[in-house]
Amino acid sequence: MSNLDKKLLFSMSVAPFWHCGRTIRGNSIHTSIALIAVLAMAVWHWGISVLGVVGLSALFSMLTEEFWNKIMGRHSTLNDGTAFVSGILLACLLPANAPFWLVILGAFCAITFGKMAFGGYGANPVSTVCVGWAMIFISFPIYMDPNAMLLQTDFIDPLVRLKYFGPDFMVNSISFTDLLLGRQIGGLGTVQNLGIILGGIYLIAKGVIRMEIVVFFVIGVLLLGGILNICNPELYVNPFYHLLTGSTLFCAFFLATENASAPDRAIGMRLYGLAGGMLVVLIRTYGIYTDGAPFAIMLINLLSPYFAMIQPKPFGVKQ
Amino acid sequence: MSFYKEFTKGLWNELPPFRLLLGLCPVLAITKTAQNGLGMGLAVLFVLVLSNMIVSMVRGIIPKKVRIACFIIIAATLVVAVELLMQAYAYPLYQQLGIFVPLIVVNCIILGRAEAFAAKNPVNLAIADGLGMGLGFTLSLTFLGSVREILGAGSIFGVKLFGESFEPFTMMVEAPGAFICLGVILAFMNHLTKMQNRKRGLSSDKAGNGCTVCGGCTACERGKASA
Repeated sequence: MSNLDKKLLFSMSVAPFWHCGRTIRGNSIHTSIALIAVLAMAVWHWGISVLGVVGLSALFSMLTEEFWNKIMGRHSTLNDGTAFVSGILLACLLPANAPFWLVILGAFCAITFGKMAFGGYGANPVSTVCVGWAMIFISFPIYMDPNAMLLQTDFIDPLVRLKYFGPDFMVNSISFTDLLLGRQIGGLGTVQNLGIILGGIYLIAKGVIRMEIVVFFVIGVLLLGGILNICNPELYVNPFYHLLTGSTLFCAFFLATENASAPDRAIGMRLYGLAGGMLVVLIRTYGIYTDGAPFAIMLINLLSPYFAMIQPKPFGVKQ
Repeated sequence: MSFYKEFTKGLWNELPPFRLLLGLCPVLAITKTAQNGLGMGLAVLFVLVLSNMIVSMVRGIIPKKVRIACFIIIAATLVVAVELLMQAYAYPLYQQLGIFVPLIVVNCIILGRAEAFAAKNPVNLAIADGLGMGLGFTLSLTFLGSVREILGAGSIFGVKLFGESFEPFTMMVEAPGAFICLGVILAFMNHLTKMQNRKRGLSSDKAGNGCTVCGGCTACERGKASA
């Protein structure tokens, strides 16, 4: 390689020379804009202190990335903004009053083991944010449980009620408006459903995320949740509650659509979304966790190479 | 001189779990605490030294065709002895290690050293090799166990290191923690080898003495030559 570099005086790129103008940095900026509504609703419900959690997470994500780039002797990749976005997304999954060391550890684990260990942005097989979240969620279950952390609030945690008291009790204690406006206990950004929908629509309109994944994720939740609900309404709740509680919509819009870990063809994306939505319902109904959406995302991320193998047959090729 | 050389190669250059990547099953499974790692390591050390010695002694008698079966019988006999000794004198440790004590029979290191070294070398060298490899294995397991115990439980050999306010990073004593710890240690050792090679003026691309150990390169080159 070194000989080649010396001989080449100038390098020519191959065709095509046309560029649509979209960059990773641009995508990060659009995602940050989409998250403004979510964060604004979080501040409305939980006070200005959530910005401390978000800022700390974003700051330490960027510092961690810079640190590893320095260690490995690479160019700084802070400029593409993906570490910043990962930090904000991770903070959205934490409780509003998460202790500072938890936030720092989460950001460090997410960037180190979810991203830099594989070689940086685009090389990670599993969503960066979910890796960091899972590591601290398994290690510190008490600190990561919003229901145990947020004691001075009038809101309730619908998923805990659903899990331990049954659907009827949950449905009677909270309305769809409350769920939509984020008047429920959950991760600081993940339950602000109105903001998530607005931000998600903005991202779809800007072409940053693909609609197929989101739509089929939602269909997956409604399909399996609906089948269970029809079979036994006393045991299984109306699937729209699954959609608006916990981090289902947040995962569908922001985590499942991560470029590096999602398939890139229409059929693959549809199956990927469908599998994710169904897994969310399965984990919540039969698993030990009240909200399993990020685990579902990690599982479908691992399946995505297989979904990506489903390709259209080239026209005119004999098998 | 030769005795010393065979003894020391197992301590760093051919360190079993971190250089040869052999015997990973107990390395990952039982290093939840430093004590477990040390106990498992000592059990393997005992079996390895004696099996190397016996295999080397009978190497002229065993027919080539049935050598693997003979090695396993020798190892199994020794493992049963270790198991009974542990039940008699270290019962809590035996309960902690569980199935992994009988599994020493099929440990890659035991069979690997018997096949690759003891079956071809005189008794004194075989014992040196077994001692070195066993000690390297014991030290590696104790080190990995200590790291995981310090991070995951805030203690080492059961002694609390930090105050009451310390929140243990529980994932490190779970299964994923073992993989992450092992990966980080391997990355660190490869980095160290690269640095050493660079200092000696060698090409930094090759993993240095890892190549002589692995033997994969020679197999590949032989394959290339024949093709």
